[in-house]
Amino acid sequence: MLRVRLERLLRRPFSLALRLTLLFGVTAAIVFPVFGWVISQSMEHHFVTQDTDELKVIVHAVEEVLSDIRGTDDPDQLAQRLDDILVGHHNASLYIATQDNRTLFASPAPDLSNIIKTAEWDTSGESVHRWHDAGTSYTIMVKSMDGREPITDQPFILAVAVPFDDHQHFLAAFRRTLWLMIASSIIVMGLMGWVAVRQGHAPLHDIVARIRRISANELNARLPPEGVPHELRDLAVAFNDMLQRVDAAFHQLSNFNADIAHELRTPVTNLMTQTQVVLSRARTIDEYREILYSNMEEYERMAQMVGDMLFLSQTDNRSRIEHVERLDLVDEVRALFDYYEGWAEERGVALELEGTATITGDRLMLRRALGNLLSNAIRHTPAGGIVRVIITTSDGDGTHIVVENPGSEIPPEHLPKLFDRFYRVDASRQRGGGDDGIGLGLAIAKSIITAHGGEVSVASTAGMTSFRITLPAPDRDRTEN
Amino acid sequence: MKILVVEDEAKISEYLRQGLTEAGFVVDLARNGLDGHHLAMTGTYDLIILDVLLPDVDGWRILQALRETGSKVPVLFLTARDSVDDRVKGLELGADDYLVKPFAFAELLARVRTLLRRGAVPATETTLRVADLELDLLRRRVTRAGQRIPLTAKEFALLELLIRHHEEVLPRSLIASQVWDMNFDSDTNVIDVAIRRLRAKIDDAFTPKLIHTVRGMGYMLDASGEA
Repeated sequence: MLRVRLERLLRRPFSLALRLTLLFGVTAAIVFPVFGWVISQSMEHHFVTQDTDELKVIVHAVEEVLSDIRGTDDPDQLAQRLDDILVGHHNASLYIATQDNRTLFASPAPDLSNIIKTAEWDTSGESVHRWHDAGTSYTIMVKSMDGREPITDQPFILAVAVPFDDHQHFLAAFRRTLWLMIASSIIVMGLMGWVAVRQGHAPLHDIVARIRRISANELNARLPPEGVPHELRDLAVAFNDMLQRVDAAFHQLSNFNADIAHELRTPVTNLMTQTQVVLSRARTIDEYREILYSNMEEYERMAQMVGDMLFLSQTDNRSRIEHVERLDLVDEVRALFDYYEGWAEERGVALELEGTATITGDRLMLRRALGNLLSNAIRHTPAGGIVRVIITTSDGDGTHIVVENPGSEIPPEHLPKLFDRFYRVDASRQRGGGDDGIGLGLAIAKSIITAHGGEVSVASTAGMTSFRITLPAPDRDRTEN
Repeated sequence: MKILVVEDEAKISEYLRQGLTEAGFVVDLARNGLDGHHLAMTGTYDLIILDVLLPDVDGWRILQALRETGSKVPVLFLTARDSVDDRVKGLELGADDYLVKPFAFAELLARVRTLLRRGAVPATETTLRVADLELDLLRRRVTRAGQRIPLTAKEFALLELLIRHHEEVLPRSLIASQVWDMNFDSDTNVIDVAIRRLRAKIDDAFTPKLIHTVRGMGYMLDASGEA
């Protein structure tokens, strides 16, 4: 049980708070110790420099005294003056001895006489050394000097020492404080990171809460992109876009339901009434047959409508076209002309084609789209008119197919709605018989063209109605797929 | 002619049995995949109508088993959805034709007859004849009662389709698909117009009338003058 929970916990990416807390912690754990090490090193360096300077001053003073008292022969006075030098320097001690370790002068403790025994000192009087004796450490400077009266005629050694322990104690205490501060800084940084992340995530939680509040009834709600931090703007905008699409789809769906219910209600009611009337008393076989035929025709119409609606919803929801092939538009339009020719001829309508183009797309679907536009054009052309299909290709924006027919102008307020489902310009001819179509042809055409990445528009001026299909150039289309 | 129908939906299987029996076929009905499998493997049929979506043994397995035994009996399968994958799969497995549910019975009947005729009619046929109507397939010439009738290419194709399926009802959608390769339901009466024009040429001046309208279903060429 616990293992399962642990595994589940591990499989999921670590939380942002944990990631950032760790990141802050690790950064602090690297940066602060380096910083601390640099500080304590420079402190130590500072003390060493300070001691070196002090020792140099003493050595210099001693040398001065030694050269100054040349000629006088008073050892007491010499000792007195050397002592005087040391007075100004806290805890400093001085030792002067011949090379063979005969003490010439020694300040009270510490006993520096052991120095001479260690011969590896740099005796130039320039560098300092660390020297341990009797549990105390000293900074010491050693200088060898030529013999001079009145002290001795032999070369001798001058050693000056100051205790280093005070510094060391101070440094140790300083380091302890430093490391303590560093450790607590790391912890504080981590905690701060955690708090910052929590705080920083507040707008995110805010957005989540807002999103949660959006129900199916208020899909028109939007997130204010100005009200969120800069980084979340894209999220808010993307979410709004998605909401827009969902809203549109939702509306389409509820309209779809309303449309289909409305369109089916009339024929179903007719069928019921008709059947009830026929069943109300005994009829002849022929009468029964007649009603069945009549019903049959109505069923067929309904079946076609439902099929068309289904096709529409499938096409609308299609993200891409599956059966893409190269199509010679001239062949396609000629085949459609072949199909509609007899019908058009009966209505006294002629068909004409101009231009050529090759496109890519689903042959069956595009045929259906073009066929619907063509049949619509033929249907609304008065006898003696000509329906023209004009194909043009421009490098910039793909292939244009214009289907134009003479006929009564469509009032401009109807134009944008012409591609809506079941939309009819003449509302009184709601369900015209036989040849009037079921009001889905243009919607299907638009849906197919849209699925192919194209556009379809309609214009109606000066007794001429023209539908214009724009399909993207084949190459672009292919890369998009 | 004996047909096996494997279909689990009660209403569909019942009207298939009735319709096919009334069309002059002997029909065996299997209501589930297991029975269907058994009947298909043991019985002798001229055609099998197979629903691929069955609750137990699915139609694909029956089809596969059938083809593995080397049986060449024509199989027409019914798929529920308008799924291209299903169609491709069925044809790859060796089915001969398919119909997408829901379908019109007239369409099924037309396809069944086509499948049964496949291989039975010699391909070398050059003349089709019904009553006094004659189609010369090589010269693309039509005569009725010895009189030449000029037809357009599409009219000829339409007449040929009607003659090849004479005494069968052809739905409008089938005609549009076979003659013009238009595989969508048009909301126009294009087919009616085409038939009317064909009638004007081959029927109006002659008796008996050969092309008949079957209300609510389609058209039929029949020399007996009934219907």
